[in-house]
Amino acid sequence: MKHKIFALSLIVATGLMSASANADGKKKRPRAEATPAARNLTADGIAESRLIDIYRLTGAGHTHEALLKAERLVQDHPNFQLAQLVYGDLLTARSSTLHNLGELPNSMLKNAAPALAELRHESQMRLKALRERPPVGDIPSQFLALSPRNKHAIAVDASRSRLYLFENTNQGLKLVADYYISVGKSGIEKTTEGDLRTPLGVYFITSNIDRKSLKDFYGSGALPINYPNVLDSKRGKTGSGIWLHGTPPNQFSRAPQASDGCVVLANPDLERIIRTVEVRTTPVVISPKLSWVPPHSAQAEIKPFEDALTAWRKAKSSGNVEHLLSFYTPDFNSNNGKTLNEWVPGLRSELNKTRGRPIELKDLSYLRWTDASDTMVVTFGEVAEGSRNGTTKRQYWTRQGHQWKIFYEGIIG
Amino acid sequence: MKFSTAPLTTLLRLMVLAAALSVCVAHADDYTEVNQLIRAGKMADAQAKADQYLATKPRDPQMRFIKGVIQRETGKAADAITTFTKLTEDYPELPEPYNNLAVLYAGQNQFDKARAALELAIRTNPSYATAHENLGDVYARLASQAYNKALQLDGNNAAVPPKMALIRELFNPIAKGQRPVAPAATAPKPETVVATAPGSGAASLTGPTSAMTPSPAATATTASPPSDGATADVQAAVLAWAKAWASKDMKNYLAAYGKEFDPPGNQSRSAWEEDRRKRITGKKSISVKLENLAVSSSGMKAVAKFRQDYKADSLSVQSRKTLELVKTGDRWLIVREFTGN
Repeated sequence: MKHKIFALSLIVATGLMSASANADGKKKRPRAEATPAARNLTADGIAESRLIDIYRLTGAGHTHEALLKAERLVQDHPNFQLAQLVYGDLLTARSSTLHNLGELPNSMLKNAAPALAELRHESQMRLKALRERPPVGDIPSQFLALSPRNKHAIAVDASRSRLYLFENTNQGLKLVADYYISVGKSGIEKTTEGDLRTPLGVYFITSNIDRKSLKDFYGSGALPINYPNVLDSKRGKTGSGIWLHGTPPNQFSRAPQASDGCVVLANPDLERIIRTVEVRTTPVVISPKLSWVPPHSAQAEIKPFEDALTAWRKAKSSGNVEHLLSFYTPDFNSNNGKTLNEWVPGLRSELNKTRGRPIELKDLSYLRWTDASDTMVVTFGEVAEGSRNGTTKRQYWTRQGHQWKIFYEGIIG
Repeated sequence: MKFSTAPLTTLLRLMVLAAALSVCVAHADDYTEVNQLIRAGKMADAQAKADQYLATKPRDPQMRFIKGVIQRETGKAADAITTFTKLTEDYPELPEPYNNLAVLYAGQNQFDKARAALELAIRTNPSYATAHENLGDVYARLASQAYNKALQLDGNNAAVPPKMALIRELFNPIAKGQRPVAPAATAPKPETVVATAPGSGAASLTGPTSAMTPSPAATATTASPPSDGATADVQAAVLAWAKAWASKDMKNYLAAYGKEFDPPGNQSRSAWEEDRRKRITGKKSISVKLENLAVSSSGMKAVAKFRQDYKADSLSVQSRKTLELVKTGDRWLIVREFTGN
């Protein structure tokens, strides 16, 4: 990534200079502030791109133009604290030299140091995400295979305070937008209720809560996710009510670490997501640091899993319960909390119904989550040959050495 | 963020036109009389006299300006705003009405309006030092407001600029601000009207043109070569003053001013020194260049006139400056300092 050195120390000190690297064509959407549409206050991402434009102008030494634009930005978004900080700096720059972002008079610093540190952090994170753009066409490694039913997908990169929104097109996953986000006050890797952390894992949006039923604090609405998921519960993780939600009226955006564990977005950004995504079928991956890979690049690596899934399908088609059970772990749990032994009678009656007819897996999707262990979250429609209808099932597979085994299976939707 | 009105106002230098714009001596006497009434605190009389004058010459800019000052000094901010606004409409080329409008707006915490007015004043007269300095204060206040919003601080915790001492004295009626400055006869052009200020406004005589560079760069080009010893000594004294200023050498800078030096406005010597100290040492860098330094002297008195190119941080102001000096012992010391011819 090219770095261009600008004259102003303000830019250097905060790493703003690198924002100009957007010019390399990886920028998500060119949104020139010059166009009237750019002042559409409810459009997602606009406020940030205006802020970055101001950084760019400042870095290039066009401080007068930067000041004018900053003034307009804070007029439009008086609650955009980072923009206010930059506006204050540009005013200060009219009569003295800036050295850092947030050039407060000493008398203010005393009370403001923590808040100032948060705003500087926010600025750094926004710039980091814009500087370290994902390679064009690459996708997060978790999205191994999505079905046409997954029309959209979301990936959160905590290391960049960023949420990436994808559309699942005929040509595969396409990055359509990305937004600054906040996570828990204590960071990530939630394990316990009240630990003020944001969970890491593969989740799905479970519902859409109307803003009218929410306090102002949550802004434009909320999209809960299924924390704790099967893997989390197996690991004994606790807590609930992890949402993607908006910001309160007095804050356009919040500090990088500000929530009780939720993922918080600026209201215009959240509104775009609410308008776009589907409940139940939109996966939400929350990663400490996303790894971006070319689509289909992991096919070879994933072959052992696909072979296992095919073998499972054949075993199920054969109707041989004993053979089929060899695919399940001893600590298996079903979605109604049954152990493997408790679950077998149900499996037998299901097999009796299909009577050895081959089954098909439709709309197959699998999402891989790798941390201390390797987990595959598999969703499909299971249809026996000759049947009109099937059931939508979700399985959690775990890798044990070279073998993939099922530790959870349940009907969803 | 909430500022009390009084302190802010005192930050800004309210200017009063002292010399005639382009009028005859008889008029100048009328202005002087009104100004004397103002200085004596006889605001009602001053107002009556001004109104009487304006009854016959309703468009006269100088008297209208003075009337605006009276209105402001008597707490009629809205009337003063009207007066100065009309002046800017009728005489858009005059920077002073914009400046005073800015002071009035700032007094109402309307810093955006104050800023706009000052930017117009500067557009009208780019070397208008008072407007530059006032604009610096307004920028600082706007910045402070923005920082408070950024950090969601209670406005009461906001930075109170360090120049408050000046401000309390502002509400004293102009005691000595209306000194007829400089030979009025030699200042015929309206744009170069000599201005003095009531109260802290008089800071314009010294303050605004204060610019700064860390590595002292005080230089001068003399228009007339030293003709005699006295002239050379005066030149040396002026250059030493500029050098001390640019080096932020407060000891020598303040020592360049004689005991008789009359601090601008109502300030005591110590208050003035403190103000200068803050303004000068507060800058990261100052450069003062003097051009066309011309010295005339007779006996123990001398007058130095020059063009002053002052740069402080990002501020850059060119202005005419006049120093009056008196020989004290073997040193030439500054007893008066003002901007303009």
